[in-house]
Amino acid sequence: MGIEHNSNGGSKAKPAGSSLAATSLKIVGALLFAAFVLIVVPMLINGAERWDLYYTLTSVALLSIASAGVWLTFYIGRINIGQAAYALIGGYVSAILVVDYGVSFWWTLPLAGLTCAAISIFVGLPILRLRGVYFAMVTLVFTEVAKMAALALPITHGASGIANIPLPGALEIFGLTLIPDFNTLENSRYAFYILSVTLMLLCYFMMYRLVNSRMGRLCYSLQQNEELASSIGVNITYLRLVAYAISSFLGGIGGAIFAAISQSVYPSSFAVADSINFMLNCFLGGLGYVLGPMLGTFVLYFGWDWLFQTGKYQLLIFSSVLIALMLILPNGLLSIRLWGKKS
Amino acid sequence: MSDILSIENLTRRFGGLYAVNDVSFTVKENEILSVIGPNGAGKSTLFKLISSFLKPTSGRVMLQGEKISGLAPHIVARKGVVRTFQETTIFRNMTVRENVIIAHHLQSEASLFGYFAGSANARRDVQKFGQSADEILTLLNLESVAYEMASNLPHGSLRALGIAIGLATNARVLLLDEPFAGMNHEETMRTVNMVQGVRDRGVTVLLVEHDMAAVMKISDRIVVLNFGEKIAEGTATEIQNDERVIEAYLGIEDESIGL
Amino acid sequence: MEQVIANGLYLGAQYALIALGLTLIFALMNVLNFAHGQMYVLGGFVTYVIYGQLGLPFVVALIASAITLAAVGALIEIYLFRPVIRKSHREESTMLLAAAIAFFLDAVILLLFGEKQRGVPKILDGVLNWDFRIIMPYDRIAIGVLAILIIAAFILYMQYSKTGRAMRALAQDRVAAQLMGVQVDRYSMIGFAIGAMLAGVVGGLLVTITGVNSGIGGPISIKAFMMVMIGGAGVVSGAIAGGFILGMAESVGLTVFSGYGDVTYLIIFASLMVFLAIRPQGLMGKPWG
Ligand SMILES: Nc1ncnc2c1ncn2[C@@H]1O[C@H](COP(=O)(O)OP(=O)(O)OP(=O)(O)O)[C@@H](O)[C@H]1O
Ligand SMILES: [Mg+2]
Repeated sequence: MGIEHNSNGGSKAKPAGSSLAATSLKIVGALLFAAFVLIVVPMLINGAERWDLYYTLTSVALLSIASAGVWLTFYIGRINIGQAAYALIGGYVSAILVVDYGVSFWWTLPLAGLTCAAISIFVGLPILRLRGVYFAMVTLVFTEVAKMAALALPITHGASGIANIPLPGALEIFGLTLIPDFNTLENSRYAFYILSVTLMLLCYFMMYRLVNSRMGRLCYSLQQNEELASSIGVNITYLRLVAYAISSFLGGIGGAIFAAISQSVYPSSFAVADSINFMLNCFLGGLGYVLGPMLGTFVLYFGWDWLFQTGKYQLLIFSSVLIALMLILPNGLLSIRLWGKKS
Repeated sequence: MSDILSIENLTRRFGGLYAVNDVSFTVKENEILSVIGPNGAGKSTLFKLISSFLKPTSGRVMLQGEKISGLAPHIVARKGVVRTFQETTIFRNMTVRENVIIAHHLQSEASLFGYFAGSANARRDVQKFGQSADEILTLLNLESVAYEMASNLPHGSLRALGIAIGLATNARVLLLDEPFAGMNHEETMRTVNMVQGVRDRGVTVLLVEHDMAAVMKISDRIVVLNFGEKIAEGTATEIQNDERVIEAYLGIEDESIGL
Repeated sequence: MEQVIANGLYLGAQYALIALGLTLIFALMNVLNFAHGQMYVLGGFVTYVIYGQLGLPFVVALIASAITLAAVGALIEIYLFRPVIRKSHREESTMLLAAAIAFFLDAVILLLFGEKQRGVPKILDGVLNWDFRIIMPYDRIAIGVLAILIIAAFILYMQYSKTGRAMRALAQDRVAAQLMGVQVDRYSMIGFAIGAMLAGVVGGLLVTITGVNSGIGGPISIKAFMMVMIGGAGVVSGAIAGGFILGMAESVGLTVFSGYGDVTYLIIFASLMVFLAIRPQGLMGKPWG
């Protein structure tokens, strides 16, 4: 029972001989990667005294969690440009509970995810029947609507948003301190980094399992042909909802931690441009690979951050590069690898 | 043999057009029944109505006394009525074997979460589906392409894959829409044998087909549609001598149909 | 009451024009033009410069907006969409290209015109006051009437001109049109140019009323998407219906809910979801899927 969790079954599986070796290689790779981001990267950052990189990398980790959700909706054949809405909702749920109701951040985190999942079921029931550009359009509109709701509803405190969110307190279970109070730490950035990266690793581990399990195959069958999936007995409505709810859950988690780090949330904290960026992350990383969105987020976010030095030309250069990329590689970054196979 | 399906006064209108108009007939258990008729006669629409991909304007479809029209398609599939498609519809970016494995969905014992978590049921399912898929692939002579991407298959194998998918669902009633379309004579005869093999496994087969030679060879009974209406029903010989059938076909093409 | 209807009609006419451009591009090329709102903003700024800054007549400015955006649209089609559509095997590619173009235009607009809200002198002075039932400035009336005239001209053009007929054939069935000898590339380009031009013209019209700023491109696109979803994507009558319906809904909502903050759009979206659940293809759209 390793990471590899074969959905194909049967002794006749083609890579039978090599699959064990491949599995252990993957486990080792995953562990090495985890050790690298959790231990080596902090050491390098501390060594170079580039504390700002903690914030950058934490952002990458959180955005790639949200992007993983978008990727999953793509996996069932829907172009989701509404993830920023769930990130915003997640941020607000956590912030409101912490600030107005004094709930511990650690409780608000799953609650933020679950609230988003619940909302996504209501929203998803009607809109998941739409396909292609129609679904894309309606999710994009939803992003804007979430922002307007944040502006209009009394509970979100309107345009002034919620500022001065306290740092997460300690997480104790039966008197045992699992996570220390962030206020007592001398470097809360490091703590947020570890938290976000751990969640990112967990998220991608789960996604990997999901995609490589029979559940993943079922999701993929929706992307390929919903009508056929339905005729072989797959409850497509249910499966679509489940995938969309997981996606929105991830968006909510990402948004909640973002609010905790920046200690504030505003109606414009996550906007249409963010929704588009989540989609771009997935696309750039390659839609066929579970790890695609992580890679895409990293490249895109660092690229954007790096272009900061160009000042007012940042957006111009960034978008020009994107356009050029689309012209050169209209099928995504990782499509370079596919060329050999296709032709 | 008892009736497994009965189609009762089934009607489907698209705007002003009656694609299927007051059609009634019954299907006996374990028979091969073909539905024929000129282009646009309403055959595919009839199949979509039976598999509940379309809702009838009026009338109903009964499966052993239980009404199935109006239910969601996946529920109807769960009850054992499964349709494959006129257009070669498959999961294009999966291998042939994966296509067949995924089609075992109705026999799943594990839940979605079980599959995700790798429960005992899930592992048993996966094991079982793999074996069953290999059997089906062997039965339909597809083992050699089992690990090909479905999108790379030649036309003939695609049809076979369509039938394999149908078989894998373990349906009681299989609706095949033009399984021989685009095949040469030899391929057709091989597929005819496949369909007979499917029937021998206890499946009731409904089939829409334009290849008259194949239809006459394979069918126990034939239903003829024209402009949405049933104009005849009977054995191959009865149909070949039916005035109205000959008329309907003569209006369209002549001898090419082999009547 | 009359006031609400008048406002709705005025808004609806502008919206319908925006939606028309978007839907035309969608119908011809199956491209969802994310940059539509940015094209609107660009059109607004062109009029702002020529009419507001240089003091040339408004009509000249409006024509300049139209020509500029038509050129921009044509260039984008020829050099960006055409090669990407040819090379990619997924419809997402064009969507992402459109998003990148939206970012690009945003950046260009910001660099050229800054982020300040810009306004221009009124094109007409005075206010129509009909018994206090309808109170509407003359310039709004003029802009509304102008928008309706342009819509009418567009419909006539699509219906009776040779180009219009070719584009309709192309929209209906690309392959069949190609077989019939319609030059697909040429008419895609013309269609994109006209679509962009319409966005630019509305920008030019509305800059005289509401002014323009570099940040409203995105929200305008979103509104255009809503209209297209209401009416049905790729259908001219749908775009017009969607535009007027949204304009009316906004006008009514702002009156009825003025006491409750800005919940109008929340309600419009909720209604849209219910509506799409019943009619996924929109009011006039063709059934699909
Ligand atoms: N979704 C639909 N909307 C409107 N009309 C339809 C629809 N589906 C089918 N029709 C019409 O119903 C009639 C019957 O179509 P159907 O596809 O059932 O014919 P068929 O017998 O399968 O023909 P073929 O032999 O060409 O496959 C045709 O005139 C067709 O145009
Ligand atoms: Mg047919």
